Amino acid sequence: MIRLHAVLVGICFLLTNIPLSAQNPLSQNIDFSCQSCTPSEALLRLGRETGLAISFSDRFFASCGNVSIQAKNESVKNLVDQISSCSKVGYKLIGNQLVFFRKTQKRTLSGFVEDAETGERLIGATVRVLSANNLGVISNEFGFFSLKLEEGEQELLASYVSYHSAQTKLNITADKIIHLKLQPNNRLKEVIIPAYSEQEAKERKAGSPKYLNLAELQMIPMPGGEADLLRQTALQPGIQTGTDGLGGLHIRGGNADQNLFLLDDVPVYSPSHTLGLFSIFNPSTVSSVRLWKGDFPARYGGRASSVLDVRTREGNLQEYKAEVSAGLFATSAVVEGPIVKGKGSFLLGGRYTYFEPWVKFFSKKGNLLTFSGDQVRYRFYDSNLKLNYSLSDKDRLYFSFYYGGDVFKNNFGQSFSDEKGFITDNSNLATDWGNSIAALRWNHLLKENLFTNTTIRYSRFFYQSRLGFRSDILYPNGKESQISNYGQLYQTLISDWSGKTDFTFYVSKPLTLRWGVSFTNHDFQPGALSANFLQPGQTEENVDSLASILLNNERLNAEEAEAYFDTEWEPYQHLKLEAGLHGTVFQVKNANYRVAQPRLRLKYEGLRNFTEWIGYHQTAQNLHQIGSFNISLPFELWVPSTRKVPPEKVWQFSTGVSWHSHGWNAQLEAYYKKFVHVLTFISSGDALFTGGAVDASGWEDRIAAGSGKSRGLELLIERSLGKTTGSFTYTLSESNRLFEDLNSGRPFPLRYDRTHDLKISVRQRIFNWLEADLIWGFATGNPITLTGVKFQHESVEGEVARDVFFYTEVNGYRLPNYHRLDIAFNAYFKTGGVKHELQFGAYNAYNRSNPFFLYVDAGSSIKGKAIQFTLLPVLPVFRYTVRF
Amino acid sequence: MALLRLITLLFIALGLFRCAREVIIDLPDEEPRVVAICHFTEGQHFRANISMSQAVNEGQDPEQPSNVEATLSINGAYYDVLYRVKGDGNDYYWRSHQAKLAEPGIEYALSVRVPGYTSVMAKSSIPQHYSLSPIVLHSEELYVETRNDGSKELRIPLELQLQNLPENERYFAFYLTHDTDVYDDSVVPAEFDHSEEQKPTNFLADGRTISLLHNIPEPVVLINENYWADNRKTLYLTARIPFNPSTDRVTKLYVTWRTLSPEFYKYHLSLSRQSGNIPLSDPDAVYNNMEGGLGNFSGYSVSVDTIDIPEF
Repeated sequence: MIRLHAVLVGICFLLTNIPLSAQNPLSQNIDFSCQSCTPSEALLRLGRETGLAISFSDRFFASCGNVSIQAKNESVKNLVDQISSCSKVGYKLIGNQLVFFRKTQKRTLSGFVEDAETGERLIGATVRVLSANNLGVISNEFGFFSLKLEEGEQELLASYVSYHSAQTKLNITADKIIHLKLQPNNRLKEVIIPAYSEQEAKERKAGSPKYLNLAELQMIPMPGGEADLLRQTALQPGIQTGTDGLGGLHIRGGNADQNLFLLDDVPVYSPSHTLGLFSIFNPSTVSSVRLWKGDFPARYGGRASSVLDVRTREGNLQEYKAEVSAGLFATSAVVEGPIVKGKGSFLLGGRYTYFEPWVKFFSKKGNLLTFSGDQVRYRFYDSNLKLNYSLSDKDRLYFSFYYGGDVFKNNFGQSFSDEKGFITDNSNLATDWGNSIAALRWNHLLKENLFTNTTIRYSRFFYQSRLGFRSDILYPNGKESQISNYGQLYQTLISDWSGKTDFTFYVSKPLTLRWGVSFTNHDFQPGALSANFLQPGQTEENVDSLASILLNNERLNAEEAEAYFDTEWEPYQHLKLEAGLHGTVFQVKNANYRVAQPRLRLKYEGLRNFTEWIGYHQTAQNLHQIGSFNISLPFELWVPSTRKVPPEKVWQFSTGVSWHSHGWNAQLEAYYKKFVHVLTFISSGDALFTGGAVDASGWEDRIAAGSGKSRGLELLIERSLGKTTGSFTYTLSESNRLFEDLNSGRPFPLRYDRTHDLKISVRQRIFNWLEADLIWGFATGNPITLTGVKFQHESVEGEVARDVFFYTEVNGYRLPNYHRLDIAFNAYFKTGGVKHELQFGAYNAYNRSNPFFLYVDAGSSIKGKAIQFTLLPVLPVFRYTVRF
Repeated sequence: MALLRLITLLFIALGLFRCAREVIIDLPDEEPRVVAICHFTEGQHFRANISMSQAVNEGQDPEQPSNVEATLSINGAYYDVLYRVKGDGNDYYWRSHQAKLAEPGIEYALSVRVPGYTSVMAKSSIPQHYSLSPIVLHSEELYVETRNDGSKELRIPLELQLQNLPENERYFAFYLTHDTDVYDDSVVPAEFDHSEEQKPTNFLADGRTISLLHNIPEPVVLINENYWADNRKTLYLTARIPFNPSTDRVTKLYVTWRTLSPEFYKYHLSLSRQSGNIPLSDPDAVYNNMEGGLGNFSGYSVSVDTIDIPEF
């Protein structure tokens, strides 16, 4: 322990009559002599001779040698400078007192937080300086952090969920780049308990972003045991989905297309398989997931309601590893390892489904519609590749690639007799859709505290459907003839090329600046239909080259330039300001839109473990997916803003408070959201079908722009430590839409509006190797539109009569309430060097028939009789995973 | 057919896990309401179909009340009372008296009273007519197309250009018919046999145009008002007439052009949209201007252009 003491010396009784106050005492000239004195002695003597009160610490000059001064008529200032020049000190004249202080030098400590075993960089790890009042930062999307610290010895603590914290002492004498390595907590890998420190938890769990716990993801019961990121996301308060996950995520009253899904910084247009039942993100390849529910910082843009930022793992830099996981619906495999040990690595992942047995099973059960035929084939697949290579301590290259999609095939036929003869129809339908994504990124440290990332990225979503139809007739006289034989091809796609550069400047602890620019070229084909009558020997595969009817081959090109400036500033301790501006210029055909989107959030870490925040965020988007089916279907159009279709805009105001203590976290947040220019097809009949054909022609003239409002209160209580963990979430919300052309111009509830939404999740550690997971959810039924009465319309001449159905309100009726219980047991064991994980349980354990869709049975004599469709009955949960 | 296939796709995909069951839901009670439908145009009688609405699951034909008092008025003053006429089958309709024909520029009100039910009332008028510019065809514009099955079609490109495009309420509909002289080619030279008059004429159009045309339960095709965006004044169609060059000679093409009142346009557009509704989507609301009840009372104006088909 070094004891510091201040010495006050040099009290001089002046006999002179020169008033010192009349001039600066440092500028007076004196004669001064001091031979082989220590600096302290010299200063004391100077003080006595000049009458100055000089305040300093001996410690300031502890490393100095003796000084010898022989000066005549020298200014006091020069003498002070000579005496103190051996040490990094400064001084200040306050009245008649000269006060010395140590000149502290700030140094930049930056670096990467890494997994000690694999070398992978850890996103969102916390680095805290214990010796500097717990000063802390969170590592960025590439595991990078930067701090400004005073020279000298500093004590750092790095921590990350499911890793052992690491404490390090560093003597900082210059700017420095370090690699903090964290050891995975192997015990927690067997029974995983979130392991945030109290301070971390307080910071992380207060408002946005929400860091999704990937360890939990593997344990949550899902249909067939297929761990799913979007389903885990939907457990958060304020997030609604359709029945059993269909229809995409609707965050705080937003539309499904208003969510920005990023996979390694590349926007994903269709984030799910099987109409929304499963997501495209293979959990075994994911490294981190962050969610912003509308209050996202200025560096994100392009969508109006939320951001789900998914980053894939980099691959093991030290050794080869593999993981194989098999569930009831799919098998996935991941291999990873070094390309050059310690410098570069790869990760290759794939997932493939086997639904056919299930289709056959359900077919035998008679659950498929009769016209579905016996040759239904459906599957989805995903493939991921990630490469990274360290060029130097300051440069690293990443390459990410994803390709995945869905394939649906069906051959079906029917035979019937009419007055002409016996007719046989045969159809072959082949449909596939999916995403292709690629990104090449270059991390570069311009300075120790200036991080840059430059990305070239590509994203493409396509849908295509090929249909072959043949009809033959057998006449009563035994003669056969072909009635029809044609092929048809429908395609819609969107593809983007873009480049972006981001800068992060860690100016000092209280101030971090981010800025960046990007440019994207969008290429749209809203939908093209080709058809051709086939000649003998031709199949529908030839349609594209033979097309004789092309209803719409319109291609649209749009250019989008974006720029942002974002700042995080802590003007006072405990008070943090996040402010930024995102600007977009969108050019399409003869339309040009410029939108500025300010974002602001103020966060205060108050007393007694409370944190409060308040935010205002303005967002906009120029790409829109338009459909009318109430579930996100792959052939729904992605279209750009045009002269007739203005950008969608959203304003969100939110405020909240959180409390954290000893593994408990509680959060209450309220929001109010306003939507402008939300789009819909005026009529489902206008959506895609014209004259019996899929057709996107004239789409701009078939859609309506409206507005909407959403408000809600979200409560989250969670326990993250101990043998029993879990969460309780409740959302009270209201969302509506207003279109001049719908519901007689009156507002009506959003299709995904649920007044009450409750989710309870409990995880019980039974043994070290066994854990039970239970999730129960309850939600108000979705609103739907039902017809109440009908009447008959007869044309004036009476030759046409048809039933007309009349209802009073759009979405004026609520489906029955939704509730469901999912249970899973997760067991972990090890044999030799192989780790095993086994999950089994039940999805929808008490087989609740949750309504997906309902229509009034017009043919029934019973009043109110309706046919209700249910999607997922009780389903087994099973998955077996090995890692070696 | 493509529509069927796509709906099939949708259902099959959902059908992977689908199961259906019957439930009883608490539908709000809807008392039967008076339904009146009446479209009128210049020089014609008012003719109204009057019935009662039914519950959605009602399987019987709608009831036609017999004790009906249907009255026409102009600016609140009595104009005529409609009388009941038996139709071709068991149906009845109500029509105005002999001298009471509809005239343009007058706002008519139709009131219908059925004892025991809420009275209904609606207003409309015959809109100012917007005519087409004269259509002249030249022989070089016509052509014959051979279809895949070997049959032939006469194709006639048409430009239906409005003389004046209104600033708003661009509500129009059209209908094409044609006359054909049929010759007997078993004799040389072929001799005139008979004429086929006012046969419905099919047409082709580009994708955008097709997407903005609506089939309605009237012998006209409704043109979506969005078609006239950007002050477009011309509707481009290609009439297609099945054609045997050795026996047929198409002589005339008739273009029936209607200018519609907002009430007519909105009602029929909503009917068209409802008929195009697809599974899982919200049903389209039907426009209703019959206060207290259901139905539609609306006027329209009409003109017919006759185009002589030149020899080619």
